[in-house]
Amino acid sequence: MTDDSLTAELTLKEVCEIADMPTEVLITIVEEGVLEPSGALPNEWSFDIYMLSIAKRAARLHRDFDIEWASIPLCLDLIEELEKLRSENKSLKQRLQRFSQE
Amino acid sequence: MEFKDYYKILGIESDADLKVIKTAYRKLARKYHPDVSVEKDAENKFKDVAEAYAALKDPQKRAEYDELKKYGQQGQGFEPPPGWQSSSSAQGGDYSDFFESIFGSARRRGQQTHRDSGFGFRGQDIEIELPVFLEETLSDTKKTISYHLPHYGKDGQRLADVKKTLNVTVPKGTADGERIRLRGQGGPSMGGGQPGDLYLHIRLVPHPLFDIEGHNLIITVPIAPWEAVLGAKVEVPTLTGNIKLTLPANSQSGQRLRVKGKGLVGKTGIGDLYALLKIVVPEHADAETKQLWDTLSKKTAFNPRSVWRKA
Repeated sequence: MTDDSLTAELTLKEVCEIADMPTEVLITIVEEGVLEPSGALPNEWSFDIYMLSIAKRAARLHRDFDIEWASIPLCLDLIEELEKLRSENKSLKQRLQRFSQE
Repeated sequence: MEFKDYYKILGIESDADLKVIKTAYRKLARKYHPDVSVEKDAENKFKDVAEAYAALKDPQKRAEYDELKKYGQQGQGFEPPPGWQSSSSAQGGDYSDFFESIFGSARRRGQQTHRDSGFGFRGQDIEIELPVFLEETLSDTKKTISYHLPHYGKDGQRLADVKKTLNVTVPKGTADGERIRLRGQGGPSMGGGQPGDLYLHIRLVPHPLFDIEGHNLIITVPIAPWEAVLGAKVEVPTLTGNIKLTLPANSQSGQRLRVKGKGLVGKTGIGDLYALLKIVVPEHADAETKQLWDTLSKKTAFNPRSVWRKA
């Protein structure tokens, strides 16, 4: 394994290819602030692996739930929020348990 | 291979109309979709549901499936009748051998169609969870991983999976939920396309002592009432060995003491360890100890519930 596979940065084209989504959609997702790649213009954008996983999720939601692309940014935001709350809740419950029963 | 009852998977009657099929699918998708579900084994359940829907929503596929359903029943071995060939086409998707034996695989067809044009199919991306211990995130850690890759014969038919073993380095500071991409280590391509990638989804293994809060760690430190009152030096474990923690006099239960630089390694620096104090009372007290507590209670003017009076 080489080091660059860890820090791999991906271009707009690469992300669209891997996630199987139209370029305009990914541009919209970035314009709406769901993903914040580095670089000013779309052809300079550089995405990390986390952003790629979010783009893949967008494609899955569109395919599996028939969600229109226009609604995808909202769905991504809500799911991220849900995941954050679930993980926070899990960790707080765990800490509460240690504190009250140990 | 086992016969799959797609109607049963969607929980519908075999004469259900398209609207019922769609409703059943959407309901189950919301329940089991790996992006929203917390159900056990959601991913595999959703695969079944998506596959059942792919077969039944298309009238042609459904008719072919119904035809074959007469030959096979769930739980019994199933082989399509000799000479069986579907006239519908499978589109993408990660379907089971059973589905592909009926409707063919997109790969097989893709290879036949595109072989001459030099157009290839990109191999499948594979994602596996990689459990990592908290201690292992403090420095670059080498780990050996094994996973199974799909394998296809010359004609695109699926053969037994191939086991692959790789040595990877998990860089220090890796956080829970992070993904590591190993380019080209995923499923093989067909017809000259790019191989897929392998994604390692990092899962930090819950630690028996430490909880995580960002880059900081929290440890609950049980202390005796007299340690809380008089102050004490207490030995406290950290990820890198024990330290002596100084409890100030009159420490409170629930109070957090910061031990600088004993947290997790982050991208922007090292986090801290917080010792969360928890006053614990002995479960049994002998007569002499009881006497001492009794003396204390009589000589101390202290009302722990005085805050209630102010309210």
